[in-house]
Amino acid sequence: MEGAGTSFHHMGTGNRTLNNPQMDCREFRDKHLSYVDDTLPGVELVGMQLHLTECVSCARQDATVRRSLMLIRSLQRIEPSPGFSERLEHKLREAKALDAAPKSSARPRGFAVAVAATSIVMLGYIAVSLRQVDTPRDIMLPPVVATLPESVAAPMTSPAPAMVASVPAGLPIWTAALFAEQVPIHFASADLTLVKSNR
Amino acid sequence: MASIARKQIVPNQGATVREQLRAMDDSAVVTAFLGGEERAFSELVERYQTRLLNFVYRTIGDREKAEDLVQEVFIRVYRHLHRFDRSKKFSTWAYTIASNLAKNELRNRSRNPLVLFQTVQKNWQDDDRPLQFEDSTSRPDDMYRKRHLREIVEESVAKLPEHHRNVFILRELEGKSYEEIAEITDCNLGTVKSRLNRARNSFAEIVAPYME
Repeated sequence: MEGAGTSFHHMGTGNRTLNNPQMDCREFRDKHLSYVDDTLPGVELVGMQLHLTECVSCARQDATVRRSLMLIRSLQRIEPSPGFSERLEHKLREAKALDAAPKSSARPRGFAVAVAATSIVMLGYIAVSLRQVDTPRDIMLPPVVATLPESVAAPMTSPAPAMVASVPAGLPIWTAALFAEQVPIHFASADLTLVKSNR
Repeated sequence: MASIARKQIVPNQGATVREQLRAMDDSAVVTAFLGGEERAFSELVERYQTRLLNFVYRTIGDREKAEDLVQEVFIRVYRHLHRFDRSKKFSTWAYTIASNLAKNELRNRSRNPLVLFQTVQKNWQDDDRPLQFEDSTSRPDDMYRKRHLREIVEESVAKLPEHHRNVFILRELEGKSYEEIAEITDCNLGTVKSRLNRARNSFAEIVAPYME
């Protein structure tokens, strides 16, 4: 198989070679990490080698990866600078001093006495509270106040005044209220109006 | 604590304490330190300072800051070694602390553009320094080519996304196993393999033009 690019990303994904129907480029690519690290089982290793003999693109990519790894593994290691150990020792001394500080610094004696006194008072309070909880006490109920139920207001049986029904629905309510104040009030029921118009 | 005290080093047969410490594995050195042998800590520093410095330096790309962070790693180790689970590897624990500090540094940098600028500026100044790593017996054009290649490799590593770069450095430069990387980076094994595979391919793609 002739691949167009040198990278695995550009290779075909489903090509099986004629002599090696078991392996395609995708499978080769998936197993390449273990192949380079030499951790593949024997059968798969042979399959990979066979694929390499038949697929130019995979063979080229395999060679590129191996050469690039040789390059990075040959990078020279850097060494710590000459003052590294001294600086580390200094920092360690500081760290030790910091760690030791809370242990060695004695708090004032008065503080300890105050803490002890507070603890005793707190313990006493807790003990008294617990004792009070344990002793049975008479049950004290709050005084009862008897009240008469309020009479329920009778529901309005008469229909709504006609004037209210005549206010246009689109007016704001305060305008409607002003308007209502200016209008002469005729408390007439709908029934009466009906009677007048019939007359 | 009693079991630790029993494992304290008893100097014998002419071998100095330092020599004895040097012959011990990490776990025994840690035990000696917890048993009160202060020199055991220096042994741990000796063993890990260069490894951790390279790991942090390749991750954050700033040598000075890398040294500060490695010192911070050792201070944390010193303070919290009594809490270290000794059923696990000391190196994994130390690398985990270093990895977290490096990650925090990168996060702070991305939040603070001034720090980022200062780092870039420092790297420019680094370019003016005399050659340090090349063999002085090489011909000048070879030295130039080597230096150029080294810079390209370092730049290519820096171009990888942070979580890919971390896994890539731990594997290719520090030689850690997948399992150790998973523990250090707090990822599952599948994620480590996937990131490493992607990192290798990306890195190969970046450096390929310079290798021809």
